[in-house]
Amino acid sequence: MDGGLQRVIVEASIKIGVVFGVIMTTIAYMTWVERRVSAWIQDRRGPNRVGPFGLLQPLADGIKFMFKEAIVPAQAHRAIYLLAPAILFVPAMITFSVVPFGPPIRAFGFEIPLQIAAVDNGVLIILAFSSMSVYGIALAGWASNNKYSLMGGLRSSAQMISYELAMGIALVGVLMSAGSLRLTDIVAYQAAHGWNVLWQLPGFLIFMTAAFAETNRLPFDLPEAETELVAGYHTEYSGMRFSMFYMAEYANMITASALAATLYFGGYHVPGLHLLRLSETLAAIVQVLAFALKVGFFLFVYVWVRWTLPRFRYDQLMNLGWKMLLPAGLVHLMWVAFIILMGWA
Amino acid sequence: MTLLIGLIVVLVAFSLLRAFLPEQKFVPVTLALLAAAVLVGLHYEDLARVEFWAGTIGFVAILSALLIVMHPNPMVSVLFLILNLFCVALFYLLLQAEFLAVLQVIIYAGAIMVLFVFVVMLLNLRAEETLRAATALQRWGALALGIVFAGVLFWAIQNRADRPFFQPETFKQGFGTARDLGWLLFTKYVFAFEAASVLLVAAMVGAVMLAKRRLD
Repeated sequence: MDGGLQRVIVEASIKIGVVFGVIMTTIAYMTWVERRVSAWIQDRRGPNRVGPFGLLQPLADGIKFMFKEAIVPAQAHRAIYLLAPAILFVPAMITFSVVPFGPPIRAFGFEIPLQIAAVDNGVLIILAFSSMSVYGIALAGWASNNKYSLMGGLRSSAQMISYELAMGIALVGVLMSAGSLRLTDIVAYQAAHGWNVLWQLPGFLIFMTAAFAETNRLPFDLPEAETELVAGYHTEYSGMRFSMFYMAEYANMITASALAATLYFGGYHVPGLHLLRLSETLAAIVQVLAFALKVGFFLFVYVWVRWTLPRFRYDQLMNLGWKMLLPAGLVHLMWVAFIILMGWA
Repeated sequence: MTLLIGLIVVLVAFSLLRAFLPEQKFVPVTLALLAAAVLVGLHYEDLARVEFWAGTIGFVAILSALLIVMHPNPMVSVLFLILNLFCVALFYLLLQAEFLAVLQVIIYAGAIMVLFVFVVMLLNLRAEETLRAATALQRWGALALGIVFAGVLFWAIQNRADRPFFQPETFKQGFGTARDLGWLLFTKYVFAFEAASVLLVAAMVGAVMLAKRRLD
């Protein structure tokens, strides 16, 4: 065994460490962004006491959560109750591992892809692990032994199954145009032929709608639905475990935003960057920053939509998923196939 | 294989410690993690061996399969079934069938098992009261069939013992990719593929018709 294995282990560990750190920090600051933006939309001030502009608020929240009592309800299924937040959080983080956040860079004499796992079936792995997050919510609802929690869990399982279909159908358009399941190939295709959103706008809208439903964000946060179900699936949770549900929600949002940027907005591609004749390293840095900017924009859209639209009713949610998004996705697929057949793409 | 055997020994020792010293919570966990870390550090080259992964996944698969059957709580059984299906997906990965592995996770672990969870949640089975009442015929029949199955398995393994478990170099280029599989599905196996889809649609329509007597 030569140094190959050691190099793989070291390279992967560094990338995992950096990406994990960046995502955790983003999660922490997304809570601050959400509260500040909601306050701004509602003409309030929002958290502005802890540090300048309230920037240390996430830290204060974290400390508070850690010192709160972690209560396990007496009739709850203890093991599953304790495991459920992790089942929700882990797939959210795993999904990000296939997202390319920059072009391959050359360092220490190696070519290093800026992607934790450069796999062939990236898009399918995303679908596989995003469907795992339903277990976290459903099991949290079931294990709490609370009627409201159970209702939240049941709603979530039906909602996720319904919107996975719409999301899958929208993704097929992207796969057909790029002719590959690799996310780096999809980015390369968009760099060569223009961003997918330019001619697959309906697909993008379907994808985003489904992504809102999959991340349980308003207007589709029916598993939580505080006006009907107290707090839905996490009614019985407290302390750090409660905050893990929020961390998972934001991690899912980050992954969904990264996917929207990668699949429809050219990923780390910056139009006209090659005209500037930057050095390779500088160009890579610009591209990583561009990717971060795109992801940040979609994260803002998430917050923006949440504080703009009211919650859907459950039957409206089901009707939208099955009777509108799915047929619309199929029609859109025909359109993409037609464009590809005519050789216009 | 040193690493795999070592890890199993650590796991058994950990379970024994937990069983005999139930009031000790952190010491066994710390010891087990330390021992596992030392083992991995000493034999990390095993991590690149397919035999190590086949052994580990097989161990988890068998353990989870046993727990599916033996655990009294139906929800826990369902969770172990999900774990078991993940193990099957990992086996596909070891056999270079990447695409099949991901489909296994999407379809079985991701979609079908959600319905299992849904049903168990709706019925809210607390314990398997009804299932315990097996007749003598069922018990002895299960034992006999189990022995027959074990015999067949043993015979199959004996028959293949001379052949190596895994030869990626004999696979042709592009084996197991979506492109290869899709090509086969739409050329050689197109009839079976379309027939299966018609069957599924018929089953779906039939289920809706049975469940919904009044179509309005």
